Amino acid sequence: MSEKIKELLGEEAEVLLAEKRYEVISRILPKVLKGKKPLTRSDLLDKAFLNKYLGIPVFLALWWALFRFTFDVSAPLSDLIDMVFGRLGEIASMSIQNEQLASFVADGLIGGLGSVLVFIPPIFFLFFGLAILEDSGYLARAAFVVDRVMYKLGLHGKSFIPMLLGFGCNIPGIMATRTIDKEEDRILTILVNPLMSCSARLPVYVFIGGAVLGGYAAAGVYSMYILGIVLAVLMALLFRRIIPYFKGKPSAFILELPMYAMPTLRSTLAHMWERGVLFLKKAGTIILLATVVIWALSAYPWGAVHSGDEPLIEASYVGFLGHAIEPIFRPLGFDWRATVALFFGFVAKEIVVDTFGVLGLGGAEELQQVFNPVTGLAFMAFTLIYIPCLATIGVIYRETNSWKWTVFTVVYGVVLAYFVAFLIVGIGGMLGY
Amino acid sequence: MIKVALIGNPNVGKSLIFNNLTGGKAHVGNWPGKTVEKKVGKCVYKGVEIEIVDLPGTYSLTANSIDELIARDYIVKEKPDVVVDIVDASNLERNLYLTLQLLELEANVVIALNKFDVAEDLGYEINVSELSKLLGVPVVPTVATTQGGMEKLKETVARAAKEKSRRRIIEISYGKKIDELIAKIERILQKDENLTKIYPARWLAIKVLEADDEVLKIIEKSPCVQEIVNLLPEM
Repeated sequence: MSEKIKELLGEEAEVLLAEKRYEVISRILPKVLKGKKPLTRSDLLDKAFLNKYLGIPVFLALWWALFRFTFDVSAPLSDLIDMVFGRLGEIASMSIQNEQLASFVADGLIGGLGSVLVFIPPIFFLFFGLAILEDSGYLARAAFVVDRVMYKLGLHGKSFIPMLLGFGCNIPGIMATRTIDKEEDRILTILVNPLMSCSARLPVYVFIGGAVLGGYAAAGVYSMYILGIVLAVLMALLFRRIIPYFKGKPSAFILELPMYAMPTLRSTLAHMWERGVLFLKKAGTIILLATVVIWALSAYPWGAVHSGDEPLIEASYVGFLGHAIEPIFRPLGFDWRATVALFFGFVAKEIVVDTFGVLGLGGAEELQQVFNPVTGLAFMAFTLIYIPCLATIGVIYRETNSWKWTVFTVVYGVVLAYFVAFLIVGIGGMLGY
Repeated sequence: MIKVALIGNPNVGKSLIFNNLTGGKAHVGNWPGKTVEKKVGKCVYKGVEIEIVDLPGTYSLTANSIDELIARDYIVKEKPDVVVDIVDASNLERNLYLTLQLLELEANVVIALNKFDVAEDLGYEINVSELSKLLGVPVVPTVATTQGGMEKLKETVARAAKEKSRRRIIEISYGKKIDELIAKIERILQKDENLTKIYPARWLAIKVLEADDEVLKIIEKSPCVQEIVNLLPEM
């Protein structure tokens, strides 16, 4: 019976009554209140940042500035780390007598892990920039500006913060959906959160983009973030349409805007460290372990791989694996090594870079043999969209408490990734690549 | 003993007023079955003991969040003698929204117009007696940070508790069409004494119109639900 009432009334009556209450208030106020609030500096800033037309462009410009800052400042530091690891690798392979051990240390540990550790500077600078935006009070405004758009697109305004956190890591992003009151809104936000490009995917973009996109590397990386947002919105719209569970409009919400404040160096650094250290921990555990496994699979059977002067990785277990899966990815222009990287990237996205490192494709020149600009971009997009890492899958299960939604997220991710990569390669082909 | 509930939007200085009134001594526990904190304290005014319950900070009283449900359930079911609604004087427009909903709940409201100094610094002039007249409830300006207005607040609460039965109930008009519809639903609901014993009928009627999940669950069991369903298509 109450379902019937809901159906008859919808949510319009609720909004209408709320409006009427504000009308009553607006009739009371002039009778009891004199004087106008003077414009504070905060109000003036809000006039620009929250402006109907300026709000979104300002948001995009700041976001772009954040990325330029991240890459420009971190590039020399990354080069330095890269150089150090390169040198270490040479020293290791020369000074270690045992052939297998030398290969393990030089190709596996230093080659693989080193290629991931190069990303410490961009990741920390990204979090540094995000912390400044957060501490200054702008991030909450960004939520407000984006909410207007999101509401129209069928996403709950409160999804913005989880989505934004997703740029750092999808796990805290998904956990932050707990603040969303309506279960349907919450699950929908969880389903599209993995499309927010987390910091683990950044190494892949920088690695591939830097090698094959030339002067457009930064634009390529930025476009991945935009692509993630656009896809998240499209998927949310699509799911609202076709899955009966999500039918209806998101509920409205009130967001308290904090005062603008000058960010302090101490709290900014603290915020940066809090999030950045997760990357270090991951590098020291999961990625290290994966490195060992991938190295072993790529170095054995020892005799077959090391029969000639140069190691022949194609003859290794990884080679078998890559060649077995490769036909599926051939339409996308990914060779067997790229395929293997995607396969291991299922555990954690940084491992994609790690795998290329172990397979001896750590440098730009080697990568250019595997990818052209179009297939490189397609590979970046595929990495963005397909299966969130293992840990994220675990959290999706825990937060939705449903295998159905968990499996659904994984499956739609892979299908969408293939579709988008195919589209990129197709359009690129028409343009002559 | 007088039972008082404190309610207000987040960041209006509610905790400070709670501490000022109770001297900081509070029994802290959880709301039954919930993970939301419940604070209860006491104070004495002219020999009369006042028990003060701190309700969660909310902007509204819908069924959409646990905090809001806890607050409104307490007011409806425990029926405190007085509900002190703490209003941020420097942000009247937003804060009065909750006040209107409290009036609809037919709570015995006393308004503490807090941050009165901030409002004056910002250049506002607030006509306190006019506000009190329009809303039909006592209004006490307070400055929680300096304990300003606390004695006056206690005095007003004690008086409001005594005059509880004489309070005037102000109806908020939603415009002619909606008011008529509310009145119709209200008349239907009044036939069910089990409901009106606990809930104000007009409030229930408004919440039915808002398709409030919890209220729809409550009236589901009532024999008058069919009549309401029949009425709605007339809208």
